[in-house]
Order: sequence, then structure tokens, then C-alpha cells
Amino acid sequence: MIIALERYWADYGCVLMQPYHTELAAGTMNPNTFLRSLGPHPWNVAYVEPVIRPLDGRYGENPFRFQHYFQYQVVLKPAPASVLDLYWASLEALGIDLRSHDMRLVEDDWEQPTLGAWGLGWEVWCDGMEITQWTYFQQLGGFDVELVPAEMTYGLERLAMFLQGKRTAFELEWAPGITWGDVYREAEREWSRYNFEEAPVDVLTRRFGEYEAECRHLLESGLPIPAYDQVLKCSHTFNLLDARGAISVTERAAYIGRVRKLARGVAEAYLESQEENAVTAA
Amino acid sequence: MPSLLLEIGAEELPAAACREAEAQLPELARSHIGTTPSQLFVGPRRLAFLIADLPERTADEWVKGPPENLRERAAAGFAKKHGVAVDELELRDGFLGLTVPGRALREVLPEQIDRIVRGFSFTKSMRWDESGIRFARPVRWVLAKLEGETIVGETSFGHRFTHGAVEIPTAAAYADALRAADVEPVAEERRRLIVEGLDAIGGWSDPGGKLAEVVHLVEKPIVLESRFDERFLQLPERVIVTTMQSHQRYFPIEGNRFGVVANGGQPDVVSAGHTQVLEARLEDATFTFERDVAAGIDALAERLAAITFFAGAGSFAEKAERVAKLVERLGGGEASLEAARLAKADQASELVREFPELEGYIGAEYARLAGYPDAVTKAIEEQYLPDASGGALPRTEPGKVLAAADKLDTLRIAFELGHKPSGSRDPYGLRRAAIGLVRLALEGGLSIERALLTEELREFVEERLESLLDVPVEYVRAARASNAPDLGGVARRAEELYRERESPEFEGVYTAYDRAHRLAGKAGQEAAAELDRGLLVEDAEKALAEALANVAIDGNGDLKAALQSGAELAPVMERFFDEVLVMAEDEAVRANRLRLLLDVRDTLGALGDFSQIPR
Repeated sequence: MIIALERYWADYGCVLMQPYHTELAAGTMNPNTFLRSLGPHPWNVAYVEPVIRPLDGRYGENPFRFQHYFQYQVVLKPAPASVLDLYWASLEALGIDLRSHDMRLVEDDWEQPTLGAWGLGWEVWCDGMEITQWTYFQQLGGFDVELVPAEMTYGLERLAMFLQGKRTAFELEWAPGITWGDVYREAEREWSRYNFEEAPVDVLTRRFGEYEAECRHLLESGLPIPAYDQVLKCSHTFNLLDARGAISVTERAAYIGRVRKLARGVAEAYLESQEENAVTAA
Repeated sequence: MPSLLLEIGAEELPAAACREAEAQLPELARSHIGTTPSQLFVGPRRLAFLIADLPERTADEWVKGPPENLRERAAAGFAKKHGVAVDELELRDGFLGLTVPGRALREVLPEQIDRIVRGFSFTKSMRWDESGIRFARPVRWVLAKLEGETIVGETSFGHRFTHGAVEIPTAAAYADALRAADVEPVAEERRRLIVEGLDAIGGWSDPGGKLAEVVHLVEKPIVLESRFDERFLQLPERVIVTTMQSHQRYFPIEGNRFGVVANGGQPDVVSAGHTQVLEARLEDATFTFERDVAAGIDALAERLAAITFFAGAGSFAEKAERVAKLVERLGGGEASLEAARLAKADQASELVREFPELEGYIGAEYARLAGYPDAVTKAIEEQYLPDASGGALPRTEPGKVLAAADKLDTLRIAFELGHKPSGSRDPYGLRRAAIGLVRLALEGGLSIERALLTEELREFVEERLESLLDVPVEYVRAARASNAPDLGGVARRAEELYRERESPEFEGVYTAYDRAHRLAGKAGQEAAAELDRGLLVEDAEKALAEALANVAIDGNGDLKAALQSGAELAPVMERFFDEVLVMAEDEAVRANRLRLLLDVRDTLGALGDFSQIPR
């Protein structure tokens, strides 16, 4: 399935990338989406992203919710007029017969307050199952996008369940004779314990501050790309603290505000460095 | 005259955007084309209208210039501005001017259509390319047909997956051409098809009101009947219904059946797919439900200290404590106190986090499963009632008390924090809470002491009486100033005053109040602080003081009796005004007489502020 998507989007002209090296709560946060969607340069990219959402863990007991799962992320910037047709054709490339199913685009607007980002789009339904999140970005890091990118985030477990006719992700065939459950269920159990019970609140709280300080320092040094990694670490640390129940509702808004401020700083610095590079190149 | 069809093709528009567009289309057509459409076509992928009988040319336009008597000074400039010679100007009704001839329709349409496309205003809009157009979703084509002639664009498009480009032969043939391409462009017709399909299955319902949205989620509605596994019927019914409706927009049919409105596909494949999705969601809901039940409502209640009610208003645990105190003040018994302790426990449940609309209902269910008696579980379930304008009130006594205490607490804490609603801003739903509170007093017969409300809050709550009571507002305002001790008393007082308005007793009290108020009402500063009987000189004033001491007005009592008692002052007052000069020269005597009149007014004023009532 992944290979089919890779081939399809590579043929279209996307740069194929590999997953990012730090914990992300969504493929959108990968700098290949977040940073590259800013600025005036066209950019087409596709990659698998493992997403980590501590709060969604269920100790491997709930067959529909996990703290770790996979997305396939495609960004076309700017979105061509035929972008929806390209997307539908990608489903056909996966072997889905669009005429025999009930395919629908159902309003679902996207907002990520920690990144100061929002866009309008849909969830794509295939016989009522949400298989893709579809978004036209409008703002990232608090800045209007110059060229409007289209982001397609395929939910790989959901898609696989649909294609394999399985009722739960546990039963998915990962490789011949090996199920998704065989590969990930124990990890779900252990990570859920870590996220909800063991993660050290004091250490995480301290780290959040350190990442934040490092981000500021890197921004002052004119290094927006490494600075962005610190934003990602802050965001993940915040999610862990949230899962540990260590953040009250009032503190929550303050934490989100801190991450958003960093994200904005990074977006601003990144846009500046893009302009400088353009000047140098000229 | 020819007819015009304009179609704006877009990527799937949200239902709310469709409704906004539907409301704006007629005016956009009228202001840019000059005629109101004879038919609208609104749906997720196209907004279109048909104008029958459009004039082939736009109307000639008269451009008014300077008045004729300023011909010497102003005519040249006006003519130059419009690119004509002075002697080409015409004279009409004393003004110079010129006629700009109308233009051929096909010439003006492209620019006017562009204005229409740019003229929509959506609550949520986006941009997607360099055109600068903002729309709810990207516009992908525009087609305009004047009779059989294509003015803008090339073709329309049929159903997304079964048909491609569709030639529209003439404007009037638009709908039929699309119907042949699996698209029903008329929203009302799609609705009819959906209802017809669901009716054919029978017994369907739509408690979440999803039909209006579903009409705009499909272009070719296909209604399918599906069934989910009966094992899920163990879940509480509203959990099943909410799972069906809130994400999936399915229509519940009794038992384990549900209706799906699809946009195409093979019925058996589609129906099986939707069943599987619903079962997965029900599985998830079962998992969540069972975890909550395993935790138990008491454990959930203990988690409330960690959940904030709203900023500044403390946690839900604190709210529960405040509500319990109010329940006591409202005379609630053991069941309502127990219910108050558990009422918000479901805010800590996983199911409410998932489906906020289940609050109250699911808490009651969890309490029932934990073995709490009916009186407690009913009260928990009814705490948010009435939840709509004209909605039902709680049926049980503990339910009424809890519902009132909950609303009272929300109102009190919100006002304390300065969140009084202003204009349309009412984020905490305080108007609805106030109306609910008043209805619990009026229709629920609950005694809600006015002393529980601060002055500002009392104003806010009692203002609701004005629209809820079938009594002219002046009588409500009069009663609001009375000494009625509770909200129901104010309402009764307003109704009674209105009922008695033509009785002789009312007349007597009104006149006495009115005369005292007119004379002494503005003299507050001059009046003595207290009546000094030693300063009473004339017989008539002594008689008035004596009569006043005999007046008995009980705030809770029978108004008729109170009016009778008060009305006995009327003849004494008349004599007083005949015989006594209030504005006596002696300052102390004058102050004492003013005080006497103010006492008359205030004593009678316990019945209400009669000055609010016009005569």
C-alpha cells in the first residue's frame, strides 16, 4: 500500500522523504510540511510519518485508538487546479474502485493552535470511513501562506483496514503471517504506561523550559531550522505532560501560548532566511 | 426574451456555506444582472440560478448633470468628464444630463458574473490561487448560458465519479441535463428524495437534526437500510443514537437498523461498509462506556477537582459544593442533595469527552448502574432542563430543584466574575439559564428567593419575566418593585395587578400611591427621616397616619385583601389633600408631612411600583 502511494506520488513529481527523526503529533509538523509550506517556493513532497499522541494511548486494549500510528502525508504547493482529481486517482492506484463505493468530502476544518496554523478542508469518507484528512492551508505560524498548499494526510491503518477488510487494526496483516498487533500491541501497552503513569513530570517540566530556551537562543543565532526541532520537542513534551494529567486547564492555555510563540518566531525567521537566500542567489 | 443560466462549480461546499449562498444568490443576481432568479440550484458542488425572460439589453441609464441655470459654469466640465460635447447634453426636468445607452447582455455578462462570484460572503472563507477570490471552497468552473449560447466557460460537470463533463444544451435544460448525469441540482428535490427513501424504510428519526446537512452532503441521494450487530443494543439508546448521528449522520430506525444516505456506489458494498464503520464506532463507544462504568460514578465524581468549570469559576468539584448549598436553600431533600453531589461526575467520564451532548443523560445512567435510586438518577438526567426555548421542564421535584440550583450557580458565579451578557455575546448561555430559572419558578412552582440574586443579577433574571408573562410589561415592572419574596411571587403579583386593574380597590390604591408619589416622590431630600407624631397638627394628617398604621400588606398574601386594606387610605388621603397644606411654612412640619406621604407611598409600594403603570 505504501509502495503504491510512493510510486504514484513520485510519478507525479513529489520529492519522496523519510519520516522525521523526532516525535511528531502529526505529519503536518514535519518541517517538510510546516516550514516548506511557508514562503514563495513551490514544493511537492510525500512521506510516511509515524505520529505520536500520548493522550490517545489505550494500553493496547482499544482496537481503534493508539498513541502511535502512521500517516502518509502529501503536500502540493501550490495546489494545482486538478488537485482533487489527483487525489482520487491515488485511491484508484491503491485499487479502490471509486464508482462502487460511497466517496464523500465532509467538511472538516483544521486548526493547530500550538503552531498558529489553520486551513479549510474535509475528511474524506469511503463508505463512511474517514480515510484522509484534506486541508488547504491558510496560515502557518501565524503567517498567511503565499502559495496555498494542499495537504493530504492518509490514515494508513484505516486505509489498510478498508483494503484488507479487517475490523480492527490489531488484525491488519503487516507482512505474511504477521499482524499489526504482533508488531505494535506490546509497545502500545508499555508506552501507555509510560505516558500515563511513569513519565517524570519534574524532568519533563524542566526539559520544556530547556527546549524553549534553546529555541530562543537558536533563533537569535539565525538558525530557524534547528530552532524548529526545539519547537517540536516542546510540543511533544507538552503532550506528555498533558497525558500525565500534570497540566491544569489554566496552565494549558499558557503552555499552548508558549509553543505558539516559538512557532511564530521560527516561521518569521525562516521566511527571512528565505528572502536572504533569494537575494544572495540573485 | 432569453433565459440565463449561471452555474458556479466548486469543490465540496459545507452545508452551512450552501445555506449562506442560497440566501445571497437572489440579491447578487438582482444587483448584478438586474433580475431576480426564477429558480435556484444549491448543492455541494454547484451554486446556480436560472433567470427566465431577461431583457437582451441592459436598460438605458440617465446620468443627471448640473441644473440648467448653471449651464454656463458647469456644463462644460460635466460634458468633458463623460466624454461628450456640450451640445450633446439633453435637458430633462430642469437638469442637464446624458443618456448612456444600455449594452447588449452578452457583452456585460462576463464582468457581471465575475462580480457575482466575488460578491459572496461566507462565515468561513479561503483563498486557493492568485485570483484573489475568497470562497468557502475553491471555485473550479463557471458556466453561463444565454439560451443555447455559451457566454462564459465551456461545460458543466456531472456526478464526480460516474460522469465527467456535461454539455448543457440550453439554459432551461440545465436541470434535466444534470439529472441525466446523476446529479439532482435542486436542494428541495434532494430533500424530498431522502425523506421518501427513509419513509419507505419506515420508523426513522433524526433527533440530532442532521437532515438539513445531509441534503448538502450528496448530489445523488441513495437511501440505504443497514443493520448493526444486535450485541450493541446493550448500550444505552442515546449512546447508540449519538454515535450514529454525531459523526456519521445516520438516521436511527428502531431496533438495530439505521438509514444511510449515500452519494453513489453499489448498494450492497456501500451498506456493508457503513455498517462496519458504525460497528467500529459502537465498539469504541462500548469500550469507553465500560471503562466509565468500571470506574463508577463515585470515582468519576472524585476526579472533578481537576476539571475547571470555567476560568475563575473554580473546578467542577467546587461547583458541585456550591450547587449542593443552593439545593438546601431551595428546600431540596436528600435525593436532590445526593444528585447535586453526582450531577457533574460525568464531566470526568470519557464518554462525555467524546460526546458532550450526552452530559446529564449518561451521568444518570452511570448512577443507575451504581445502584442509586430513581429519584437521584432522574434528577441528574433532568438537571439541564429546560434546554431549549419552550423545552420541557424536569418532571421530578428533585430534578426541578437541581436544575434550578445549577442554573442559579452558573448565573451567580458568572455575574460575580463580570460576565454579564452584552449584545449577542453570551458565551456561558446565561440568558437561557435565566429563562430556565424563571420557568422553573413559574411553571415548575419552585420557590426561588429573590434574596439569592444580587441586584444586578436580579434585574437580569427578572427582565426575562417581561417576555415570559402574558401581561403588559408595565405591570411586570410594577411587580418587580414589590416586596414579593420570590420569583414566582413577582409573577403572581404582576398577573394579579393586571387582573385587578379596573377594580375599585386598585383604583383607590393607585390614586393614593400616585398622589403621594407625585407630591413627595421628588422631595426625598427635604423629607424627615422618620415620622414624628408630635409634629402632626391637623386632624386630617393625624387620621392619615392612623389609617396608614392599620394598613396590612403581606408580600406573600392575597392581593385582593391587601388592595382592600390599602384602598382604605384613599378617602383619608383625599381629606388630607383637601385640608392639609403639605408645603407648610414651618420647615419641620413640612418635612414631617413629606415623610408621611413617602410612608404612604412605600407602604403601598410593597404591592408594586404603581408609577410604572400608565393611566
